[in-house]
Formats: sequence, C-alpha cells, structure tokens
Amino acid sequence: MNPTVQISHVTKKFGPFVAVDNLDLSIGEGEFFGFLGPNGAGKTTTIKMITGLYAPTSGTCLINGHDVHRDPLPAKRSIGYVPDQPFLYEKLTGREFLHFVCGLFNMPAALVREKIEEYTEVFEIGDFIDRRAEEYSQGMRQRIVLSAALIHDPGVLIIDEPLVGLDPRSARLVKDTLKERTTKGLTVFMSTHLLEIVEELCDRIAIIKQGRIIYEESQTGARRSNGELETMFLELTK
Amino acid sequence: MEQFILLLNVKASAFLKSVTDLRPQSILKNLSSLFIFGGVAVGVFLLSRAATGYLLTQAHIGLFLFHRFLSMLLYVFFITVNLGNMIVCYATLYKSDEVTYLMGLPIPHHTIFAVKFIDNFFYSSSTLLLLGLALLLGYGSYFGVSPWFYFFTFAAVLLPFMLTAGVIAVIVLMLLIRIASRVGIRWVLAGIMILYLSAIYLYFSAVNPVNLVQEVMKHYPEVNAYFGYLDPPFVHYLPNHWVSEFLYWTVSGEPARATWHLVTLFCILVSLLLTAWMVARVYYYKSWMSTSEARSPGSGRPGFLQVGFMEFGREGVLPRPADAFLRRDFWGFFREPSQWLHLLLMFVLLCVFLVSMSSLELKLTQPFLQTISYLVVFLFDGFLIASISLRFVFPALSLEGDAFWCVRSAPVNLRKLYWQKFIGSFLLIVTTAEILSVASTSMLRDSPFLILVGSLCTAFVALGLTALNLGAGAYFATFREKNPIRIASSQGASLTFLGGMIYLGAVVAILVVPLNRYFEILIIRGTTAPGWLLIPIVAVGLLTGAVFAGSTGIGLATLRRDY
Repeated sequence: MNPTVQISHVTKKFGPFVAVDNLDLSIGEGEFFGFLGPNGAGKTTTIKMITGLYAPTSGTCLINGHDVHRDPLPAKRSIGYVPDQPFLYEKLTGREFLHFVCGLFNMPAALVREKIEEYTEVFEIGDFIDRRAEEYSQGMRQRIVLSAALIHDPGVLIIDEPLVGLDPRSARLVKDTLKERTTKGLTVFMSTHLLEIVEELCDRIAIIKQGRIIYEESQTGARRSNGELETMFLELTK
Repeated sequence: MEQFILLLNVKASAFLKSVTDLRPQSILKNLSSLFIFGGVAVGVFLLSRAATGYLLTQAHIGLFLFHRFLSMLLYVFFITVNLGNMIVCYATLYKSDEVTYLMGLPIPHHTIFAVKFIDNFFYSSSTLLLLGLALLLGYGSYFGVSPWFYFFTFAAVLLPFMLTAGVIAVIVLMLLIRIASRVGIRWVLAGIMILYLSAIYLYFSAVNPVNLVQEVMKHYPEVNAYFGYLDPPFVHYLPNHWVSEFLYWTVSGEPARATWHLVTLFCILVSLLLTAWMVARVYYYKSWMSTSEARSPGSGRPGFLQVGFMEFGREGVLPRPADAFLRRDFWGFFREPSQWLHLLLMFVLLCVFLVSMSSLELKLTQPFLQTISYLVVFLFDGFLIASISLRFVFPALSLEGDAFWCVRSAPVNLRKLYWQKFIGSFLLIVTTAEILSVASTSMLRDSPFLILVGSLCTAFVALGLTALNLGAGAYFATFREKNPIRIASSQGASLTFLGGMIYLGAVVAILVVPLNRYFEILIIRGTTAPGWLLIPIVAVGLLTGAVFAGSTGIGLATLRRDY
C-alpha cells in the first residue's frame, strides 16, 4: 500500500534551534495516526510543515505523492487542516466562512450549499451558522473549523488538538465523525495531549521528544489497554 | 502605585528588548529605521530653517504674522495628534487582549487606564514628536537660540502640548463610548466626524489665512497697526495659540510674557490629566464593559449594509478563488467601522481639498513661482495618495490575520492572491489620484499639456506608492494585530510612509528643472508643448519601475516565509 503521508528526513531549524530533527514517518490510507509528545517537542512544527505553513530546512513532506513545498496545489487539495487555535475571520458568519473555504477549493456552488447544511447538522451548529465569528465561543469556532476541514472531502485530515474547547457532547460527535470517516478511507494525522482519545481512536502512534521520534508503532492495530499508554508515555518522555 | 510602576517597567523592558535585539535582521531593521527617520528629521529641520528664513528675511512677513501662521500649523498638528490618539486609543484601551487579561487581575481599573494611556500616547505620537522636534530645531537655529531653549521647549512646551491633545482625545473617547452604549455607535461616530470637521472649518473660517495675508498686506509695512484687532477672541483659549505666543515672546526677548503662556499650558494640562483620571475612575471600567459586551455572543447585530450580488453563494464574475477573496475582503471592509468610516473621512478631506483649490486665485508671472505652485499642488496630491495608500494598502496583507492559516493550507497560488490585492488597490488608488490630479491642475487653470503631464506623473506615483505599500505591508506584516489603524501606524508603516515621501521628493526633483524651463518658454512665447518634457516623465517612469520591481519582489518573497 502506498503511503498517503510520507515524511522523509525532515528537519526544521529556527536559527540555531532544531525544532524537528531528521523526522521520518509514513501513514497509510484510512489510518488514524496519533502523534504524541510533551510540550515543545515539535508536534505543531511538524504539522505546519505537512500543511505547507512552514518550509522544512531539509527533507520532504509528500501527500499522495506530491511534495507539499515543491508541488503545493495538488498536495493541498487532498488536505483538510484543523489548527491548534481555531482562528476565523471575525467579521464573517460561519456560513460565509464555509462558503469562502469552498471557494478556495473550487467546489461547485450547488454542492457547497448542500455540504454547509450537512455540516451544520453534523456538528449541531444551528442558528450560530448565521452569526459572525466575533460572537462565537471557543467550542463553536472549533466546530466551524472542523466543518471547514471536512467540507471538501479531503483524503487526509491533519488535526492539531481536535477537542480543544469542546463540551463532552461535541467531543463525542467529533470522535464519532472522525472514526466513521476513517472507515471510508480518510487518513487522519492527529496531534493531541489527550491519551485517552489516542487509546480510543488511533490505529497507530508515534511519540516525538525534542524534535526526534522516540517511539513508533510499526504496524496498525496494536491494542493498548487502559492506562498502558499513559505509563509508557510518561516513561519515555521523562 | 507599585502596580502602575511594575506594569510600566514591563512595557519599558519590552520596548528596550525590541530596540536592543542583536539578531542580524533586527539590527538591520533598527539601522534602516534610524537612517530613514534620521534622514526625514534632518530634512524637516532644513525645511523648517529655510522656511523660517525665507518668510522673515525674503518675504518680510514680520514676526507677528509668522507666529500666527505657526499657530495655524500647530492647530493642524494638535488636531492630528488628537485624532490619532483617539483612533488608536479605542484599540489600545478597549479592544486589546492585554486589557482583557489585566481586567481579570486584582489591579484597579484606573491603573490599567493610566498604563495603557501612556503606552498609547507614545505609540501613536512618537513619529509626530520627532517631526515636532525637528521643526523646533529648524526654527530655533534660525534665531540662534541657546541649546537650553531646545531642551526646555521640547520637554516643557512641545511634549505638554501633544499630551494635552492626547488627554482630550481619551476623555472624549470614554464619554463617547458611554453615550454610544445608549444611542448606538454609528450615531456617535457620525457625531465625531461632524464635530471635527466643524472644528477645522470654524477655526480656519475665523482665522482665514487668505484674509489674514490680504488684510495685513493692506497695512504693509505698518502691520503693527492691524495687530490690535487681528485675533478672534476664542483663539486665545487654544493650546496652539499659547505655544506660538510662548515662542513669539521668547524670540522677541520678553521671557516674562512668554512664561505666562507656558504656565497656562501647564495648568490646563494638569487639569486635563486630573479630569482624565477622574473620568477613568468613573467610566473606564463601565465603558470597557459595554464595548466588551457588544462583542459577546447573543449581542448579534443585523448588518446595515445589504449588497445582494456580493453575498456568498452567488455566482461571481471572477473565477474562483479570486471571487471568494473579493467577497471576503468586501464584507471584512464594510463590517469594520474603522475601515469604512476612515474611507468616508478621507473622501470628505479630498472634497475639502478640492473646494479649497477651486477658491485659489493664483496669477503668477514668474516662471519659478509657477513651477513651485505646480509642484506644490502635485506634491500635495502625492501626499494625500501616500496617506490613503498607507491607510488602506499597507494593512492589506496583515489583515489576512490569524485566519491566514486557511488560505496558506488551501490549494491557492499565493502569488495570485498578492496580484489580486495589488490590482484591486491600484485601481482604487489610481482612480482617486487621477481625479485629484486632473481636478486640482484644472482648477489652477493649467494648460491641457500640463494637465496631461500631471496626469501621467500621477499615474506613475499611484503605481509606485501602491507597490511600495503592498510590498512593505507584506514585509512588515503583523498577523496578530486585528486593528487596521494600528497596523497603519506601526513602525513599519511609518518607515514605509517616509520611504514614500522620499520617492515623491525624488519625483519632484526630476521634474523641477524641466518644468521651470517650460514655464520660462511659455512666458516668452505664450504657448508651448515641448516634446522634451517627455524625458523627465520617462525618468519618473523608470524610477517608479525600480520602486515597483523592488517592492513587489520583496512582497512576493515574503509570502514564502513561515506563517
């Protein structure tokens, strides 16, 4: 099986500081991949390189065989991205924001309307869809951003802390939606600090510390029982 | 008091860290700032000295009339500082995340107010303070005053004068926000605009510089006979009058009379500071709360602007994603009061400028004076265009804001986004610039040939200034800043504006000699349309090309930076 996300020898330096050091990762189609690590380990930097927000100092990030930095448009067409902070255009309503994102992905107008209605329902956005983002709570912003990431049916979802600010009901909704999408072939690359989410959702994990992978499961389907992952994580990252 | 000093210390050390940052790019940025600001300060100093010398020794307008003109200049300066502080204060005192954080801490609200007021004053007035100092140095060097005069006048006159403008701004702002929570922000904003335009109109109607010159010249050279009934009474209560009187009596060798005006200024400043303190104790928290609640969930306001064809979801004329960008920018602009209100204000100022031009009767017979009048009008047009570009084009990339992630991670060619912003901005700027150029040169009754020359050069200037502001705006982009006014008044924006002024100065320098030659021939022969005048226009085109290429190259290169 060809990997959907292929990160090869990727290094990112900020001046003398090495944020990510010679990283290699490979994630297959339909895989739910958990990317763990302590604060400042290099998780968000890695995600920003995969989504084209940072240029790697060396190495390559391939999405469906396209280099995100040398051949960005085909690579980015396959990506849905949820950043760690759900920033929106404050003066646009949720509906307008979703229309805008669909415009960036060049989606047909009729499909856009249908999809917006679908995600308004899926994430229970309700009347807030027609309110401006400046009035949204953190949780509502997160729902809009998740809708924006999924609305163009991406092949790969890159997601940085997906459950920030969500109430338990919304968190359940998100988890169920993501799990259901992976069964239909969506590849998820998820960074999070919440180990119970990883235990519940992820097929395979890797742990990064000081820019280097210190642990990576070699095959999909490894099973972890309650608390086992936490013990391992604390042991590896101390 | 301890909290006040602690907070000020944090601000001061953050500022010191930014100016003593030893990373190569910071050193380069600080050096280039120093070079450009220093260059402009030297230019203003030389201009101030030359203008003082010219008016007093060549035009013989006399010390009294000179200081009356200085008073008018100070009035404009006062209004500029006042308006600048009020606009930036709203962002600093009411919309800042830092204030939201501080309000959650056990710090008295008026202490937060005092810290943010000082922060705001130096942030929004530092460039004007530098220009004021350069003007003062030029003025003082003509009169050969002692070095102590500069220190004293800067610290005890110029700074209190500007602080007075800033304190009035913040008092008015707090009261207006309280009123706005009852009658609505739009009425208040409209009220401010009418108030300030009326203040400017009434002042200049009362002190009318054209009448002033004509009336004084009737009595020339016995102008003192006119002095007794020259000033309208209300002028004596304005801070600009106290400053000009202080300078007048100082250089006239009567320090006792000068001191009286200084004491007046100082007493009024202290009274205003105390008033601001008291108003802040009563109203700052309440007014902050009302602006904060206005942004909270459930305070939803219906949009007053309905433009059906610009709504999202409609079929557009532009291909995607250009259409999506156009709609986003349209609604982002018209839903942000500081954007459309400023545009409206600039439009009114342009109309005021054109009406003023139409009433000018210049019957000049000397070629050099004709050249000067033509270039002064050209330069003033250019200055207006530079201001509009700075205010609306410079922030264009920064306004992508924190949500830029969704564009950067989407399959969008960022170069196309840049060019779309450039074309949209250029169309706005060049249209405004051409209307200004053709209207102002026509009003001066210039020949069709000169109108064409002005129009061509203006088109180049519009191109150069748009490219400069967009490119520099991308280079100095601050995605975290949500307020376009603060973006347009940042250090990077000030540098860009000064760069624009240098560019305009270079354009004028290219045109001055050929135009003077043109007017000489015109006066001798009665009519002329020399082809050789195209040579300086081509030179202006080449200069603009260099500015365009450099700025656009920098702008496009910065799009590849990490976000």
